[in-house]
Amino acid sequence: MASDRIVIADGDADTAQVAEFERGRRELLRRGLGFGGAAIAASSIPLLLSVRNAFAASSGDAGILEQAIGLERIAILAYETAIDSGLLTAAFTRVARRFRDHEQEHADALTTALMDLGGTPPAKKPTLKDIDGVVKGLGSVKSQADIANFAIELEMAAVAAYYDAHRKLVDAKLLQAGASIMANEAQHLVVLRQAVKRAPVPNAFETGKT
Amino acid sequence: MDLDSFLRDPQSRRRFFRTSGVAVAGSSAIFLSACGDEASTPGPAGPDESDEADVEILNSALDLELMAVAAYKAGAAQLRGEVLQVGKLFLEQEQEHADGLASAITDAGGKPNRAKASYDFPALRSQTDVLRFAVDLENTAIAAYIDALPKLGKGDLRATAAAIVANEAEHVSVLLDALGEDPVPFAFVVGRAA
Repeated sequence: MASDRIVIADGDADTAQVAEFERGRRELLRRGLGFGGAAIAASSIPLLLSVRNAFAASSGDAGILEQAIGLERIAILAYETAIDSGLLTAAFTRVARRFRDHEQEHADALTTALMDLGGTPPAKKPTLKDIDGVVKGLGSVKSQADIANFAIELEMAAVAAYYDAHRKLVDAKLLQAGASIMANEAQHLVVLRQAVKRAPVPNAFETGKT
Repeated sequence: MDLDSFLRDPQSRRRFFRTSGVAVAGSSAIFLSACGDEASTPGPAGPDESDEADVEILNSALDLELMAVAAYKAGAAQLRGEVLQVGKLFLEQEQEHADGLASAITDAGGKPNRAKASYDFPALRSQTDVLRFAVDLENTAIAAYIDALPKLGKGDLRATAAAIVANEAEHVSVLLDALGEDPVPFAFVVGRAA
């Protein structure tokens, strides 16, 4: 069966979620972004690059794990800050709590892996300044959409960091754990992009880059 | 290939990506030699064992991507409206994966496998059937890539495989959402059913 035999039919959406997704997609198409073109703010790109460089430059699995734990802790703090902002609806608050819990699970697993390697988890707890060091702007958010857009950039930074780590990690189990965490961050991106009506899956290769 | 048992049997999924001479225990030598030099693996001139092993793994991944392309084509007849648009997008993305893998296989001196003439898919009688089958296929691909990932000798290939896993995981989220289910059921995506 060839793809050109597929007939596009205008039927009713089977679920509200799909209808919402399609509305967002159409809006993006109207704005000239479309699938494959949805871009994060240009201002964030140097920040993403700095994160990737910092993450990839660390030598050895233990160093990469320390960087990853730091990034996951920053994500936990960012979601907690968002939850406490008073800007989120009840539904979005539930999503943010779920995602914070996922980041905590990642941090816990990575900490265990680091200790198995004989390493010591970083003692320093992250601050709001550390969040700014990855993606700026959480301190000036004024709406739920601002928070979702911020979270998209943060999750993109995490995906990019794990993507690059796959060139450096040596241990097979760490490679597999890294991929499964990276894939979870990508799933967070789908929900966050839908929340602000961006194309949920803009690229066939999710590298955390645009 | 008996797809039904393949999807339900983790052992056969693992075998799918297990290549002779690239068992998990033996792969650490490849990692160590590849570590710190993603462009090439040091060694004597002549056929590169790492390349040969990578080609075999990549061709297994290519088989799975070509099956996914065929599945989305077969399922399209049951999809309507917005869900059909999703199906078409995912079909295109699976094709992009297949094209990327074929290029990587050629670059490594191998010959890319071609799509089978036909696939033994289950009956897809409704949109829900297609969505559920697509979730199964995507989860199968995720599990297979995660099994195979550490066996790839080259860092760039491991990174690309991880980027494909992340994209398949995104597909799973959209498909689960369309089924009215939790789009992000687990903190670790390993290709298991929700």
